[in-house]
Amino acid sequence: MKMKANTKLVLITIVVIAVLVSIFALSSWQTPTQQTTATYTATTKTTPTPTTIQLSGMINGAGATFLNPQMQAWASKFYELTGGRIQVNYQSIGSGAGQAKFREGVLDFAGSDPPLKADIYNEFKDKGGIIQFPVVIGTIVIVHNIPTVESEKLKLTGEVVAKIYLGEIIYWDDPVIKALNPELNLPHEKIIAVHRSDGSGTTRVFTAYLAKVSKNWKDKVGSDFTVAWPVDQLGNGVGGKGNEGVAAAVKQNLYSIGYVETAYAYEVGLKVALIQNRDGNYVLPTREAVESAAKALVTVLPRAYEDWSHIFPDETVDAPGKESYPITSFSFVILRQVYDDPVKVAILKEFFQWVLTEGQKDVNIVKGYEPLPPEVSMIGLEGLKLLRTT
Amino acid sequence: MKSGRIFYTILFIFVFTSLLIVVGVVTSLTVTSYPIFSRDGLSFIFKSTWNPVKEDYGILPALLGTLITSAIAISISTPLAISLAVFSIEIVPSKFRAFINNISDLMASLPSVIYGLWGLYVLAPILHQYVMMPLHHYLGFIPLFSTKPIPTNLFTAGVLLAIMIIPFASSVIREVYNAVPYYLKEAAYSLGMTKWEAIKTMLGYIKSAIFAGIFLALGRAMGETMAVAMVVGNTFTFPKSLFDMGYTISSLIANQFPNAEAYNYMIPALYGGALILFIVGLTINLAGLYWIKKVMIKS
Repeated sequence: MKMKANTKLVLITIVVIAVLVSIFALSSWQTPTQQTTATYTATTKTTPTPTTIQLSGMINGAGATFLNPQMQAWASKFYELTGGRIQVNYQSIGSGAGQAKFREGVLDFAGSDPPLKADIYNEFKDKGGIIQFPVVIGTIVIVHNIPTVESEKLKLTGEVVAKIYLGEIIYWDDPVIKALNPELNLPHEKIIAVHRSDGSGTTRVFTAYLAKVSKNWKDKVGSDFTVAWPVDQLGNGVGGKGNEGVAAAVKQNLYSIGYVETAYAYEVGLKVALIQNRDGNYVLPTREAVESAAKALVTVLPRAYEDWSHIFPDETVDAPGKESYPITSFSFVILRQVYDDPVKVAILKEFFQWVLTEGQKDVNIVKGYEPLPPEVSMIGLEGLKLLRTT
Repeated sequence: MKSGRIFYTILFIFVFTSLLIVVGVVTSLTVTSYPIFSRDGLSFIFKSTWNPVKEDYGILPALLGTLITSAIAISISTPLAISLAVFSIEIVPSKFRAFINNISDLMASLPSVIYGLWGLYVLAPILHQYVMMPLHHYLGFIPLFSTKPIPTNLFTAGVLLAIMIIPFASSVIREVYNAVPYYLKEAAYSLGMTKWEAIKTMLGYIKSAIFAGIFLALGRAMGETMAVAMVVGNTFTFPKSLFDMGYTISSLIANQFPNAEAYNYMIPALYGGALILFIVGLTINLAGLYWIKKVMIKS
């Protein structure tokens, strides 16, 4: 009897200790420790650019997966240019996670498809403020898989696309689509609407566009990293994980429609649809169309230190201008205004100044992205002047 | 005496560690998911909506999807796994036995993302054209096959899972089958049993181990994330037939976790899903154990 009671006691103690330890571990995990990773040496050397003090060190960023290939290209080029002085690390963990880690203070900068949400922006305002600015442009195309229609022939309006994803237009030979494409042979087949299943900045921008052109979409669905797709409820929707998942679903399903990042569509060989812009023209995401959209937005865009959450992407999609491509998106970099370490401030300034000037030249832009027009680069360049130490 | 004490101390530490890990997992799941349960209560389990815009979450379709895909996987993989085990021991010439077993073990160790890609690009189109479309065409009046299928759906996910878990179940069964005392086999043959009858007797003898292998495989099927996320269709809808697209809890987590921190309640909701999955898995395993015990006592 005594023995048994003892064993029980031991077991209970073990469980209690285990619970306590794991609660403790959990709570300490949720309050992150401040990390300072920049080990630096400030040295003066005689180099071809003698006026500046040659700083060296490392900055750490993380966030949007969309930005990742471009950021890696910039980082390695810059590493090369500075002779290994400055190392920029970027981890592609997703916009949401990047913003959260940045908020916790473990990152020097965050990359993000959407800018900071208003409440986080305000929270930072009391702590010295932040700056956020576009570093590169991306576009999203509507793709389809109708065997009888070639690429770059099908014409769609934003409203029609919204109706398809709402489940209001079900067949390809719907009178509305036929009226836009009188010369095409559209089959009487159900439209399978493919969308991203993972939370993504691409979906955020795409749904912002649908919400802007369709009031119905705005009221019923809204815009976010993931939304509740009405077309799924009819059994005509499919979710694909990542751009590759959407591309595969569009390829495998005859009579499907989908949206992917532009570079991806052309790489995989998906059929691209023309989309009507605000001025009524049917456009493709060419360099000119993207530039036109970005330039049209310059007056709308806030300063780097302001709150962007109400502007991007809800106000920036469907930009005016005869040639403008309507589903154009920026990728952002988010910085604090105040850093403890003066060297870090200098490195961040040096790197992002380069990104916004030399980095925008064609040789430094990865395929699938578009460079910023100088007017838009100015937002970041002006913003960087605000960086300071305590 | 002294070495005995050291041995028991070390043993105690190891036991304590594994217990700590299990309790830690359950505690962190409970603590992290607490906000969603305190806000929505049990309706979190019975709602079928996933709407981050309104921060409205309910996981019923994903839970059903998990159960459906696992059920398909188990019903396909069980006969195949038993056959494979018996085949590799009784039928295959001993020269090729090691080869077959190595292949089967290799299948178990392939990363699931490889299964996912293969499932998406190879298996799904084949199943669609040669299995699902004919089934729907000829047997569409049966509710199970009533949806006009597209390549990625619950059925595809179930079949892919079956392929993934066969080696797990099979290797357990194989080991136990090998461990059956030889005199039993000799006795069977000496009674004049045919090979088929002898095998049946042997399988009856290791019934409980077969169930154990199947439950191990079931656990893996229910927890598979990446491969399922690629082929299950990922639509948050209430499944009405095997050919409907759907979700599983694990694939929901794989899909939604990266950007979950942008929301206030999504992380609790995903942890809540994980907790439910844990509870369901535990319940099924306990029920299984209970059942095995009953079967064992009877026979």
